[in-house]
Amino acid sequence: MNLPSLPPASAGGDDILAGLLRLVAGARPDVDTQLIKKAYAVAARMHQGQNRMSGDPYITHPVAVAAILAEIGADDPTLCAALLHDVVADTPYTLGELESEFGSEVAGLVDGAMALDAAAREQQAAAGTGRAPAITAPDDERILVIKVADRLHNMRTLRHLPRAKQVEKSRQTLEVLVPAARALRLPAISSELEKLASAALAHGGGPPPTASGRLLAFAATVLPAPVRARWREEWLAELHVLRTRRSRITFAAQIVLGIGQLAVTLYRPAAALRRASSAVFAAAVTVSGLVVGGWTATAVIGAAALAVLATLIWVLHNDARTRRFTRLICALRGVPPPRRLRSLPPP
Amino acid sequence: MVQAPRMTLPTQLVLRVMLADPASEYYGLQLCDETGLPSGTIYPIVARLEQIGWVESKWEDPTRHITQGRPRRRYYRFTEDGAERARDALARAYRPKKQPRPGIGISWPGLTRMSS
Repeated sequence: MNLPSLPPASAGGDDILAGLLRLVAGARPDVDTQLIKKAYAVAARMHQGQNRMSGDPYITHPVAVAAILAEIGADDPTLCAALLHDVVADTPYTLGELESEFGSEVAGLVDGAMALDAAAREQQAAAGTGRAPAITAPDDERILVIKVADRLHNMRTLRHLPRAKQVEKSRQTLEVLVPAARALRLPAISSELEKLASAALAHGGGPPPTASGRLLAFAATVLPAPVRARWREEWLAELHVLRTRRSRITFAAQIVLGIGQLAVTLYRPAAALRRASSAVFAAAVTVSGLVVGGWTATAVIGAAALAVLATLIWVLHNDARTRRFTRLICALRGVPPPRRLRSLPPP
Repeated sequence: MVQAPRMTLPTQLVLRVMLADPASEYYGLQLCDETGLPSGTIYPIVARLEQIGWVESKWEDPTRHITQGRPRRRYYRFTEDGAERARDALARAYRPKKQPRPGIGISWPGLTRMSS
């Protein structure tokens, strides 16, 4: 499903309304434009002065929900209810006023959506006590459709919420709303919800990357492309639990020193790359250093030198031929060859 | 056929730590702590062990890391026959390359007395 092309939030209220009307008319030419305009006017007036967590005027949310619904060809009462779905809960506007102005059908949809919210909150509060009440599906399928669209817009703007809220909303989305959207035969919405929620639970919206995190993300670029993201994510998760700056820097620096070894290990199936990888890495880093120039270059070349050195040390430690060579040198110099502890007693 | 890893001392340490409880899962940082080896040494080793099929890795179950409010971890654990092969390899690695020739005793008073 394409994103509804709404005007930016900074645009005037009339632009938002015009954008919505265009979208609605495009999906369903027989739409009652006057009714939509009236619902928008009430919602805009009641939400006046309220803002979303993103800082956008609150009215952008009900309009976006209505836009999502318009795209799937929802009927007029559903679109009105979408525009008005938060006025009763969040503003002085009452359900009675809603009913007298828009009729019992729209009021019923808004009321049903609110009841669903209340039931979900109750279940959330009772979660873990073993007595969590089951949420009964509303009689009118359109109520569920409104909630699914509501959640879709909330998930699209999830990054503005605190992390704990993001996690809570994402879990609920996966557990309740994705199956609901699927049951409502809205595959595009259910898959977008699933994608957004899984991404938020995996790593998105985490803390801003630290210097160590950025260093690791950069270091991972020498790893084979298909597994790069995995190692990056694995290391960032480890960094996340390290409490002190010093421990994070140590962790990251050690990985950078061992990155040549890891690259060689991961590239091993292509044996030709084995010897070349450290040289390629050094060349790539040096070239990027030259391109950037200045202080950055100096730092980058320093890092490159360290990485190459670490790779060299690793090769020296491992290669049997090099070991024999070392022994030869030691013999020539008349010193005893280094003795390595070869093994430990079996467990 | 993949070749067995070189049984370097760090590799042996990692296997040893994991064999302490072969059925459980270990994450990278935990292996660093338990072996005392730097992170840059641990990851290439587990990568190699995974490559040859001794260990397998998977992302942490969402319910676990979410309740603790941190990003998901990558966990490593022995495959079905991985632990057995690791034990074998450790035992083989221990077998000294050269048996001490008989007749050349170790001139360590305490040791000779104990062995006699």
